[in-house]
Amino acid sequence: MRARFAAFIAAAAVVVCGGAAHADPIRTWGSSQAPPATQGGAATSAGGASTPPPPPPATIGTPIEPVDAVPPTPASSAGDTEAVVRSPGHVGLRYVLEGIEVRGNTATLARVVLRYVPFRSGDTIDVDDSEIELTRFRLLGTGFFRDVNLSLRRGTHRGYAILVITVVERNTMVLNDVWLGLSADAEPNGAARPLTAYGGIDVAETNLAGTGITLGGAIAIADGQLALRTRFADPAFLGTSWTAEAQLLYNHARDFFGNEDVLVDDPTQQVTQDFAVANYTRFGGSVGAGHDIGVTTRLYVDYRLEKLDASLPLAASDHYGSEIVPINFFILPGSSILSTVRATLIHDTRDEPVLPTRGDFFTLVGDVSLTPLGSDYPYSKIQAHLSHWIGLPWAGHVLKLDAFAGAIFGTAPVFEKFYIGDFTDLLPDRVLDLNFDRRSAPNFLNNDISEIRYGDYALKLSAEYRIPIYRGTRSIYGIDFFGAFGVYSVADQNLITNPPPGYEGLAKLPIDLTFNFGLRADTAIGGFMFGVSNFLGFLPVRGAAPQ
Amino acid sequence: MIRNRRAAALFLLAAFAPVLGVPREAVAQTQGAPQPANPSSLPTRRASFAWDNTLLRAGFSFRDVVDKPLAEKLSSGLPNVILMRAYVFEEGRSEPVALAVRTCTVTYDLWDDIYRVRVSDPNGVRNVPKINVDGVLRECAEAHDLPIVDRAILEKGHPHFLGVLVEVNPISPAMLQQIRQWVQRPTGSTGINPGDALFGSFVGIFVRQIGTSAASLSFRTQSFTP
Repeated sequence: MRARFAAFIAAAAVVVCGGAAHADPIRTWGSSQAPPATQGGAATSAGGASTPPPPPPATIGTPIEPVDAVPPTPASSAGDTEAVVRSPGHVGLRYVLEGIEVRGNTATLARVVLRYVPFRSGDTIDVDDSEIELTRFRLLGTGFFRDVNLSLRRGTHRGYAILVITVVERNTMVLNDVWLGLSADAEPNGAARPLTAYGGIDVAETNLAGTGITLGGAIAIADGQLALRTRFADPAFLGTSWTAEAQLLYNHARDFFGNEDVLVDDPTQQVTQDFAVANYTRFGGSVGAGHDIGVTTRLYVDYRLEKLDASLPLAASDHYGSEIVPINFFILPGSSILSTVRATLIHDTRDEPVLPTRGDFFTLVGDVSLTPLGSDYPYSKIQAHLSHWIGLPWAGHVLKLDAFAGAIFGTAPVFEKFYIGDFTDLLPDRVLDLNFDRRSAPNFLNNDISEIRYGDYALKLSAEYRIPIYRGTRSIYGIDFFGAFGVYSVADQNLITNPPPGYEGLAKLPIDLTFNFGLRADTAIGGFMFGVSNFLGFLPVRGAAPQ
Repeated sequence: MIRNRRAAALFLLAAFAPVLGVPREAVAQTQGAPQPANPSSLPTRRASFAWDNTLLRAGFSFRDVVDKPLAEKLSSGLPNVILMRAYVFEEGRSEPVALAVRTCTVTYDLWDDIYRVRVSDPNGVRNVPKINVDGVLRECAEAHDLPIVDRAILEKGHPHFLGVLVEVNPISPAMLQQIRQWVQRPTGSTGINPGDALFGSFVGIFVRQIGTSAASLSFRTQSFTP
């Protein structure tokens, strides 16, 4: 077991070394290139060969010299006249690119800016090329800059030009998420508690030391529970078009099993408790790579290795319908290893990330546990999630249709299973894989969904209607009222093939309803959602399980 | 009936634009372009109107759309576009009955030290060199005797006005969509659950910076009666 864990540490070290290697200067575009021969087109130039170039204007930031420059070939008079090319019927001009100059970058390295520029010294640049404007938006899209402007200035010889990229940097420390809420959990001895608070925060520096690398961290805390994450992401790993990611995680977690009347064997005696409590820790990490497949689609592949240590009751039993059955904690007692490979496909055609009015967001995720490489949990898992936004023809109203389906085959650890609280809006979601709540499903339809907490199969269909109530252009861009309604099911193999005794007819179908309403806001510091269902979840509206 | 006639007139304007001399690129620029939402409430600006037989010609200025930074940008060596759309409205109605478009593409020639201006309007397409920014603005930020509409399309005896929209460096809806899709994709959002995407939300912040143009201006003119 220790050897396998040491192997993970070695793998993590390789990732760190890879990141350090990336800090070295990368390629210098065009450094070995001579200006190419003049391209075709009508060659016109007035004024002969040797107009002296004007001195470069004062530089705002660093560097002063073109960061990507190639000395022009000593030009003959014929070459000089051919270097400026005018397309027939267009105002458009073409120049031989002598270099690229980056200005205004006090923190961001010039080579990081140049990653997003598709031109090289020696290229013939057509001023009408749409790539020039797209370059500006690529740079804005990094999130490193508040403004970006591109311009040309004369090169050292007629027909040559230097591309000047002027950037205005912005704060790149980003608050990604804040979690605050109330939950109903249990004491370490299994006694139910009415209310406890939980919270967490997620921050990231998206341009670490001007390298374009993202380094982030997150923490979630509840009574007796702690989750920590650090994540590294390089969107242009080693100057390539591949994204590289690495993450370290630590969870000290507690989970609750049973339904307010369980029998638990501890080492000395058998006692009756409200809930059986399982404690476990996770430590490990993942490394991965991602690549674009077209403008709207991206593929990621990750490898994960974790060491688990679980402290479980010797035995515990609970009601399953009208029967008493042993509780499965879905995690091995003592130490165990989890090793998986995950592939994620993302297809995103939304017009806006926070308050979309049209488009789709589709994710397909597949996990395979690598038992030949030492994983103690043989399983595979697949999840598909599709959201579709439809802009309605009246007053900016938007309808969102949402579908999720997932299945697990094999023996997955508890935190990989489908948790009922992730599908109903009336219970807190898991945060960084921590589960804060002991309650079962609300069970509005009074069926056997109250018997399940973690499942191997999950399905959810929902719709959300949004009504705009405010639109702005400064710090708050928009606020919408939303109302959502959905139906979901979580089940495992046992619930399907061996329904709990006491349920008849449609009550054997583990289906429940969920709803939420509140406000969604798009602001200068990100998107927010204020829903009321978490509080409504504390109202006693649940269906009762048969005893 | 009148409404149908206006719709037919707009359809005919679009369909026969090439025949009537409206450049194809000028028509393309208007596709998907916004119309003034409430044109009669726009700020009023004086314009000169004259009848050239049955053709209405107009003159007005919109130099103020180009502020100092944009004027400096005209010398960037890269193309800058000033797009003007003049919609003809009947007073009290919000549907235009005619449209005149002028597109001006300005590119500073680094080595000849002149501004190469390509103008596309109902008079046709022409390339005009200018030696300074003032000359560029006279060509591109003012309308002189701009052909607007034939009298036959207008409702006789009813007051009409022009609703003018001016944009600098407008972005086509197709490119805007492409840019937004490109920009908003988060870096490293591999997670499927809300809590999993560590870096999933920040990039959306910058999408808002991408407007549909670098600058815009809208106004209406005083009324004229055909």
